[in-house]
Amino acid sequence: MQLLDVRNLTIELRTSETVIRAVDRVSFSLKEGEVHALVGESGSGKSLIAKAIVGVLNERWNITADRIHWRGVDLMRLTPEQRRQTVSKDIAMIYQDPSRCLDPTAKIFNQIAETLPEVARKGFFLKRNRDRKDRVKALIHKVGIKNHEAVLDSYPHELSEGVCQKVMIAMAIARTPKLLIADEPTTALESTTRAQVFRLLKSLNQLKNMSILMISHELEEIADWSHGIHVLYCGQMVEAGPTHKIFKQPRHPYTQALLKSLPDYEQGLAHKEPFYALKGTIPTLQHLPIGCRLGPRCPQAQKECVVTPSLTKHSGHSYACHFPLIKEMK
Amino acid sequence: MQPTLKVQALSKTFDVRAGLFKRKKFEVLKNISFCIGKGETIAVIGETGSGKSTLAKLLAGADNANSGQILLEGNIIEDNGIRDNQCRHIRMIFQDSGASLNPGLTIGDMLDDCLQYNTDFDEEERAEKINSTLSKVGLLVDHQHYYPHMFSVGQLQRVAFARALILDPKVMVLDEAVSSLDPSIRAQIVNLLLKLQRETGLTYVMITHHLSLVRHISDQVIVLDKGEVVEYGLTESVFNNPQSKITQRLLSC
Repeated sequence: MQLLDVRNLTIELRTSETVIRAVDRVSFSLKEGEVHALVGESGSGKSLIAKAIVGVLNERWNITADRIHWRGVDLMRLTPEQRRQTVSKDIAMIYQDPSRCLDPTAKIFNQIAETLPEVARKGFFLKRNRDRKDRVKALIHKVGIKNHEAVLDSYPHELSEGVCQKVMIAMAIARTPKLLIADEPTTALESTTRAQVFRLLKSLNQLKNMSILMISHELEEIADWSHGIHVLYCGQMVEAGPTHKIFKQPRHPYTQALLKSLPDYEQGLAHKEPFYALKGTIPTLQHLPIGCRLGPRCPQAQKECVVTPSLTKHSGHSYACHFPLIKEMK
Repeated sequence: MQPTLKVQALSKTFDVRAGLFKRKKFEVLKNISFCIGKGETIAVIGETGSGKSTLAKLLAGADNANSGQILLEGNIIEDNGIRDNQCRHIRMIFQDSGASLNPGLTIGDMLDDCLQYNTDFDEEERAEKINSTLSKVGLLVDHQHYYPHMFSVGQLQRVAFARALILDPKVMVLDEAVSSLDPSIRAQIVNLLLKLQRETGLTYVMITHHLSLVRHISDQVIVLDKGEVVEYGLTESVFNNPQSKITQRLLSC
């Protein structure tokens, strides 16, 4: 069953002069128990999409979509109150910068306790307190923090970035959500902690059948364990499909450039040999090119590229390019 | 052959408070030694708190060591905490180039300041040097009239390179300068690094946690743990056959 189904999501920012289209007609869907990745460079609108799904973007952003279906219910048509309840019950999000997203004035224990579902509404208040303490302790052990007493009794600024990140994850999984949106959960961490966080997310996915939407700008991090990859460039979906297919045969020049910039996947690259790199830089949102937004940087660009290419679908693997890299086999 | 950079028994301790009046010595780096030749790259890897960034600061002269020597082409430039007052041979590039550039100066003014304080070039020579440096890092001559906020992240990184390169250094210290960038920009910057190394024989000291990148561009690797060198050797041999537990754990994930 489709868990999340997003069709033609467009996010626009109104400024005094013009309307900037930060995310341009993005569609994707997610089945239960799957791990999907949104990959793209900074400014490509990955975080905006995540925030639009959860519904935490402020008034200035104009969100339109044909549908954002969550288990068959269109989130766009719910009243704000209903939407808030649905989202808080089933969807959790880990934000980008853990030490800034935690409340600096409250202790970790109180912050985690706040997110717990009505822990033991029943019972005498002493029992309720004890239950709550036990639940918080169990959660914090689950994410791999051993000295729970010291951590629970401290403020966010006293903890390292890695521990803060784990606390964020503990808060996110407190209500056992169906979908976890992880917005660059490992950018601030070094390699050993990063591996721990990935192991934790992986085990949550396998044991609890939790779907995960990973947002990242590194392809190699998520390559091993995600079912599908969606590649974004400047707010346009350029390629989407099952992970192994994309790694085996990228169709879009941008995906190919991403893959070729990974030393691990590029075979036959000698020591200290230059990488394959696209020329130029990412355009700013104020000066987006028309048509295919990769156009000015694309090595294969031709006259037709001033028209936005439509998404071509071929056995689960879709790409938006007028001149895909390998012609389809007949 | 004379090594470009030689570090002998470098140690650094910090004073930390222990109680109301007592102070405790905290050793950040213990007896670090390595040497690196012209046109080679050495990578420093390790977990947070292992003293990587302190090592970078000591090399660049932003901080003084407690004991040990740093030799540049045979000349002692730092001896037991006394630094020869020249910053032009070892230059550093910081992690966040957007935050380490002065927002109130144009790129040209900033580069001009570097030259004014460190060389005795006259105005014409300085202008010429700025132009040649900018084109060397892949920017246009016109970019010197721009302010930092007018550049994208990748271009800012190039500006940071220009600032480091303009004094013709022999060693460049890169403190996480490439790993925080987006993949396609990172490929460009790495290519630029490799090109500069080929053309001018620069020596890089690279501090990063991006292991596949380390494997691709470095000749030697130092693995630090709690201020001590746990492994030091040629990149391929360390990656293929890690000896210590810490290295194995770092490489396995």
